[in-house]
Amino acid sequence: MRLLGGSAGSTAPKAAAGPAGARTLRTAHVSFRVRPRSVLVVLAGLVLLALFMALDIGRGDFPIGVGEVFRALLGAPENHFVVMELRLPRALTGALVGAALGLAGALTQAISRNALASPDTLGITAGASVTVVAAMVATGSAAGGAGGALASIGIPLAALAGGLVGGLAVYLLAWRNGLDGYRLILVGIGVTGVAANVKWWLFTLGDVNDAGRAMAWITGSLNARGWEHVRPLALALAVLVPLVLIGAFTLGALRLGDDPARALGLRVDRDRSLLILAAIALASIATAAAGPVEFVGLAAPQIALRLSGTARPPLVGSLVIGAVLTVGADLIARTAFGAVELPVGVVTAVLGAPFLLYLLVRSRRKAAL
Amino acid sequence: MTLPASSSTPAPSGLAARGLRLGYGDRVVVDGLSLDLSGAGTTAIIGPNGCGKSTLLRGLGRLLKPRGGQVVLDGADIARMPTKEVARRMAVLPQAPQAPEGLTVADLVARGRHPHQAWYRQWSPGDEAAVDAALARTGMLEHAASPLDELSGGQRQRVWISMALAQDTGLLLLDEPTTYLDLAHQVEVLELVTRLQRDDGRTVVMVLHDLNLAARYARRLVAMRDGAVVAQGAPAEVLTEELLDAVFGLPAKVIEDPVTGAPLVIPLGSYAVPADTAPADTDTDTETDSAVGAGADDDDAGASVDTGADEGAQRGR
Repeated sequence: MRLLGGSAGSTAPKAAAGPAGARTLRTAHVSFRVRPRSVLVVLAGLVLLALFMALDIGRGDFPIGVGEVFRALLGAPENHFVVMELRLPRALTGALVGAALGLAGALTQAISRNALASPDTLGITAGASVTVVAAMVATGSAAGGAGGALASIGIPLAALAGGLVGGLAVYLLAWRNGLDGYRLILVGIGVTGVAANVKWWLFTLGDVNDAGRAMAWITGSLNARGWEHVRPLALALAVLVPLVLIGAFTLGALRLGDDPARALGLRVDRDRSLLILAAIALASIATAAAGPVEFVGLAAPQIALRLSGTARPPLVGSLVIGAVLTVGADLIARTAFGAVELPVGVVTAVLGAPFLLYLLVRSRRKAAL
Repeated sequence: MTLPASSSTPAPSGLAARGLRLGYGDRVVVDGLSLDLSGAGTTAIIGPNGCGKSTLLRGLGRLLKPRGGQVVLDGADIARMPTKEVARRMAVLPQAPQAPEGLTVADLVARGRHPHQAWYRQWSPGDEAAVDAALARTGMLEHAASPLDELSGGQRQRVWISMALAQDTGLLLLDEPTTYLDLAHQVEVLELVTRLQRDDGRTVVMVLHDLNLAARYARRLVAMRDGAVVAQGAPAEVLTEELLDAVFGLPAKVIEDPVTGAPLVIPLGSYAVPADTAPADTDTDTETDSAVGAGADDDDAGASVDTGADEGAQRGR
């Protein structure tokens, strides 16, 4: 009881020990700390997400009002087929892809202690792009235009494998007596550069039509997504997200740096590797479902961090904001140019690039201070 | 209010190195070092730059995996203990730690409770009490909500020490806790460390650069050179002119500190003049001269100090 030797422990205001504004949820054996502002961000994000999804579902050749969309979702017979079978899967795919990218981005940024780390800089999207372009170029014309089973199963599988291989390659190349966040980003940029050139080389090899299809895929699109896309995605997230949230308990200590974290009893290399591998898996799955939707993994954690006012990207907040951003971007992609629908990846890239510049300018200023 | 884990912590803790071999890459820094740090008290490890004192502390604190040998904590090899169990018994403060930006004092100190927590038990009443008590102990309670970036260097170091205290361990390892601090803050931090040892019965092992502060605040000194322990014992036994010359290559005069009675090192520097140009006092001249001579012949000097220190350590026990 040596710590309680001082009297100040009992007289101290309760809030003093917790992080600013945190509330404690406690039962006999279970206790958590939550910050009201972070909860508010998540709730507001979910409301916004529902609204965006309803608007997204309402859009199309046969427009449906937001109120009617919600009624159809709750089981009303009118518009049931259009909403449930044709349009909901697209919106759900967008939300799940965004959630996975947001969470993956939050993990990579928290671990590397760098706001510029994201699935895009870890070789995941680059790896997926190369394998998909390779698959399309190699099999396209021969397989009768890559139709049917090959397109709906083979392409996502190729993307998943490519993303995992790309992410693992960066992870292994960056490993030297442990994992260093800065090294991870630099190696990621290098691998992404190599992959981009391989990708362009493959384009020159292929048939023009195959190259066109491959091009459409690597911009990232939610077009023609059905329940067959939603189910594997939802299943993967249902397993991975809880595991990440449990495993992320070590994140707070991990962020203090290697030696302090080791002093606190962490097995730093193992704990950090597990979280990075989870981020690679999440981003690869998302990329397999929708192609590379860039900048969501970069922007969502930074926006969630600013909204929540926390020191590090909040995991659940980043997940929700990622979903909002992706569905919102899809909404813009489908409405901005009237009848012409853009791929969602084009919109996220156009909106995300200025945000990246903003982060760079801000970090430069901070370094100069 | 109870602290669940603290009652099981036996004080004073026993920490020892047995044939410890430590290194980085293909460079071996410490080879076959044995050292017993058991018993309450403050031990300071001293030695010149690159002698392996920080490496030794990192090895003792499980921050660096041994290439061979063992670190024994309360009778068990720490490499075979669960890492969290080690962290519940031994707190280690690394050299010049850097907190991620935006963190508040309370956030950082709360991290010290990690070894006592699980993912489903992230903030128990015991955690809260321990963090409050640690902040009160270091006088940082009023700054609990401040961001770390806004604090002075001395205050920031006190926050890191608070984090180690919140771990609620009987053993505290500090790697140069006074680095980058001005003298007033160095004294402030070391006074705090002394209170932690004296009032709370903790065992403190720290690496210190400043010999006079080490002599003043440590009950036992361990002098290292080239990855080996050259001398250990009470400050007055270890901090001799011969040892300073042999270990640091520093011609110096050791006098008694008029305030504390501890040895006080006065480096001679350019005042260590050759005998022929020196002023009248012949007695002092011959002494200085012989000390410089011994310094030139490293091997002999090292060996003679080694045996002397062993005797000193024996007397110490």
